[in-house]
Amino acid sequence: MTRTRVPLYGVLVLLLLAFLAPLLWALSGSFKPRGDIFAYPPQPIPDPFTLDNYQRLFSGQPFWRWFLMSTVVALVATTVSVFVCALAGYGFAKFRFAGKRLLFGVMFSSLSIPFAVILVPLFVILVKTGLGSPWFALIVPWVAPAFGIFMMQQYIVQSVPDSVLEAARIDGASEFGIFRTIVLPLLRPSLGALAVWQFLQSYNSFLWPLVLVSDSSQYTLPLGLQTLFVSEQRQYDLVLAGAVIAVVPAVALFVLLRKQLLEGLSTGVVKG
Amino acid sequence: MTTAIAGRARKADERKGPADTAHRPRGPWAPYLFISPFYLLYVLFMLVPVVVSLWLSLTEWVGLGTPHWVGLRNYRLLLTDISFHRALGNTAVFVLVAVCVVVPPALLIAQVLNTRGLRARDLWRTAYFVPIVVSPILVALIFGLLFDRQFGLINSVLRALFGTGGVDWLGDPSLAKVSIALVMLWRWTGYLTVFFLAGLQNVPRELYEAAALDGAGRLRVFTTVTLPALKPVTAFVVVTSFIGAAQIFEEPYLLTGGGPAESTLSVTMFIYRAAFQRQQFGYAAAAAVVLFVLVFGLSQLFNRLLGIGRATS
Repeated sequence: MTRTRVPLYGVLVLLLLAFLAPLLWALSGSFKPRGDIFAYPPQPIPDPFTLDNYQRLFSGQPFWRWFLMSTVVALVATTVSVFVCALAGYGFAKFRFAGKRLLFGVMFSSLSIPFAVILVPLFVILVKTGLGSPWFALIVPWVAPAFGIFMMQQYIVQSVPDSVLEAARIDGASEFGIFRTIVLPLLRPSLGALAVWQFLQSYNSFLWPLVLVSDSSQYTLPLGLQTLFVSEQRQYDLVLAGAVIAVVPAVALFVLLRKQLLEGLSTGVVKG
Repeated sequence: MTTAIAGRARKADERKGPADTAHRPRGPWAPYLFISPFYLLYVLFMLVPVVVSLWLSLTEWVGLGTPHWVGLRNYRLLLTDISFHRALGNTAVFVLVAVCVVVPPALLIAQVLNTRGLRARDLWRTAYFVPIVVSPILVALIFGLLFDRQFGLINSVLRALFGTGGVDWLGDPSLAKVSIALVMLWRWTGYLTVFFLAGLQNVPRELYEAAALDGAGRLRVFTTVTLPALKPVTAFVVVTSFIGAAQIFEEPYLLTGGGPAESTLSVTMFIYRAAFQRQQFGYAAAAAVVLFVLVFGLSQLFNRLLGIGRATS
């Protein structure tokens, strides 16, 4: 058996390399002096090893500010959106009401509206109404994701038994009380999955911050990194160091909650 | 924003619709209160912008002062705007790449990962998924360095292996498209694999056993058992990829700036350029409306064609 399995694992390892090599190359490059980054053959282990790129990244630009901006915006957007999704998901999963089909359909249709369609008007509306402060406006596009509602709805249908809700009602609990004390705790795993996904969406977004933010002290990470890249000197060394730092929270969060996330993402599609 | 998300839900939903097992709450308003935060935000930040977009598309506006009503002029201009035609054509190419070049390997990898008794399945699946977790701008920056004509690692490797380097990956019109396609392949394959793998693991074993009893070969099992069972997942993956690729922005914007000679200009880039670099807000809105009609219309059509709406179960 082991003999027949060797090619199989060989293929998997090759794929692994293909998927991770660009990232590993960036990681290793971030510890090399500028001149060595493009050396051929590439050295997997930086020699000499240097932290100089990171030091210059922090001293030369408001890197921590960018990082903070991205992280705080993503955290707020995640919290709001997860709550909104849990509420609506529960509403759709456990109640019968007039207009449900229509309302569900409307929510659904928003999944095929490209962001570019609302890009211009959203910008105009937020800037013209004075709500264009990045702290508010950067969060806006992420707060009501139909995908999240659908994910929650699927999960609630499968994992929140009607009998428990019925019993709580007989005990005289309020509808919101039931949601808060019974439903939310039962949702914990899928809330985690949705939270990771939403965090990544906001944290990784580029087009909207690009349009919205003009003051470099309010840049998000992707915007800040882009300025290093398009600047005249093309600061590859700094870009790589910044890229490594930027990717750490995203990958760490993903690896930590990967099981829930990967399963949560595919549940609706496969079992729907 | 990712569209990745976007199509996901559609299918399963239409197949089943919202669950109707539920019961009546005490107060008749309770369900509406639960869904109202979403609809409030939806109206404010989705519906209103779409309507404003429609209205703006009928005006000429530089972003200051009052928009000037011009009726359908922006649309007439789009009809003859070569840049817009290029953007549409390029975007169509990216959509085809997403659906025809990225999807098959994802299915193949999922097949491999579904092999019985495979070790560390979770590790492979996780590692392959990582590219979609990484910010697209980092992807573009890293690939920008890898594709570099003089120093890029890819050219260095080519030079070492075949003695011919200096391929102008990002500077040659057709190669620039290929480069972006390669990045799409790298970013999306592992993500789509997750859905196919979940689908494969849901195929009842008995079906395979029955096929084996009938003496079906590998290929036959694949076409008669696996593919039909994967139909809903495939439909979902195709629609998702379509919606995602139809609004591609970061890769061309950062890797090639839409060039050379607009060979990688996408529709979203066209909209961005018109509005925020050329102050043609009305014109940008008109292009956005065209994109909306195409993506929204085609994804509804795909849903019908692929049987998403009337699937089994």
